[in-house]
Amino acid sequence: MSSVTLAVVVALYIGVTVFLAYYGYRRTKSNKDYLIAGGDAHPFLMALAYGSTFISTAAIIGFGGAASLYGMGLLWLVFANIFVGIFIAFVVYGKRTAIMGRELQVHTFPELLGKRFESDFLRRVTAGVIVAAMPLYAAAVMIGGARFIETTLHIQFSTAVWILALLVGAYVITGGLKGVLYTDALQGSIMMLGMVVLLVVTYAKLGGITAAHHALTDMAGLVPESLKAKGHLGWTAMPALGSELWWVAVSSLVLGVGIGVLAQPQLVVRFLTVKGPRELNRGVLIGGLFILGVIGSVYVVGPLTNVFFFEHGGKISLLAALDPATGKPNIDRVIPLYVNTAMPDWFSYLFMLTLLAAAMSTLSGQFHTIGTAASHDLYQRSNITVNRLGILVTLVITVILCFRLPGNIIAVATATFFGICAGAFLPAYTAALFWKRATKAGAVASLTVGLLASILAMTFLHAKEAVAFGVSQAVFGKATVMAFPWTVIDPICFSLPLSTLTLVVVSLLTQSSAACRPSLSKGQ
Amino acid sequence: MLGIPDPQVWLAYVLSILAGLLCVGYGICKWNSDN
Repeated sequence: MSSVTLAVVVALYIGVTVFLAYYGYRRTKSNKDYLIAGGDAHPFLMALAYGSTFISTAAIIGFGGAASLYGMGLLWLVFANIFVGIFIAFVVYGKRTAIMGRELQVHTFPELLGKRFESDFLRRVTAGVIVAAMPLYAAAVMIGGARFIETTLHIQFSTAVWILALLVGAYVITGGLKGVLYTDALQGSIMMLGMVVLLVVTYAKLGGITAAHHALTDMAGLVPESLKAKGHLGWTAMPALGSELWWVAVSSLVLGVGIGVLAQPQLVVRFLTVKGPRELNRGVLIGGLFILGVIGSVYVVGPLTNVFFFEHGGKISLLAALDPATGKPNIDRVIPLYVNTAMPDWFSYLFMLTLLAAAMSTLSGQFHTIGTAASHDLYQRSNITVNRLGILVTLVITVILCFRLPGNIIAVATATFFGICAGAFLPAYTAALFWKRATKAGAVASLTVGLLASILAMTFLHAKEAVAFGVSQAVFGKATVMAFPWTVIDPICFSLPLSTLTLVVVSLLTQSSAACRPSLSKGQ
Repeated sequence: MLGIPDPQVWLAYVLSILAGLLCVGYGICKWNSDN
């Protein structure tokens, strides 16, 4: 990769980003512009912003690497991401959210829950959970992006963190959600282009779709014994039913990530940026294509890297991507290594921009959501200046976390936030939109139980987080309190049913004080 | 199908594409619908 060409490409990208950020700043005249982009965003802008916020660098690098290990069974996550994360999210949840948001005059996710259930407590607790938990997720995304900049541009990690923070912070703080939407549209377009090219070139290199899959199928005998023992049956086969890999693939990736996306505050707020259902109908089109193009490519190319590395070196991806520092396999290195060795030189620049765009688009949405939750919902003296201060404080906290958190935190922090959102927010959010009988007490109880169940399951049961937290080890002298399969079942499998049951039972036992909302009077 | 022997996997492959097409078809059919 030529350093001069690289500098020109990066400068061009930053130049266009700065122009779009300035355009967003000039068009931000009111607090409504700052919080929800005026509520009249173009559907394509909204859909690209939704998709690009959803998909971070960690998703492309981390999940691509995971797919190279688990195989094409993870394509169920692609289906879940498109059908649940886009179709159900836009058509079922999005339309109701847009209508209710307009009726209740809300600008954030906590405000939506608070006003729907007429509970300032619920609004503040929801905002508190976002402010407490989301910076970890933002720091994870920032660490992933900074690590990538560090290795690509050969600069120090700390410098890379500050570059990302200042660049993203500048346009989120000045332009609010308009700045975020305009830059997200650019970043989403780059991501779509980069990932589709990656998919097409990969299939072309391996002789076409069927030939590439056949070659991968024929490699089943090369699965290492350690993976066979965990249920791996080959890269074009699902793991053995009930095995460790099956539980990880199905409960954590497909359920945890696939369903958890519905209650992500930074994504829900996108539905408040459009006028109504017509815009969401149009947005479904671009959203579905975006996720199919980006996530579909990740989960197809990941497993197929095994074919390439075997044909060009006789190794599977896991063994080809050894960490030079430790000499051990590192699946996060699979996709970058594949791009550097298999793809044409010009693609390296496009892929670098794709990853930079993925990191920045996710970070901008996170900063805006955390900052406005603090200023608009916790402090509750919302104006543009206060919101800008809220985002600035968020930015500083995230940067501090980047320097304090351990190196292997990316996957744990991401899974923790997704799990908490699904367990704590999803039942209350769903009931807010669709169940008139749901009560304030039911929503508060559901959020509390979901949050506690998520935290307890992550602390004492689910090995990935429990080992990282170390609390179970300190209290009980063992990494998790129960044995397999409980150690690999995603916390969402406990927290979501419990919080849903709590919502239903407490709502039926208590009196609804909320008046019938006009939007809820239909279709109940 | 498509060089993938396991029905659970090729079904996921095909359903992913169909889900993408569903989004496109829905977007086109409901382009001017406000419901």
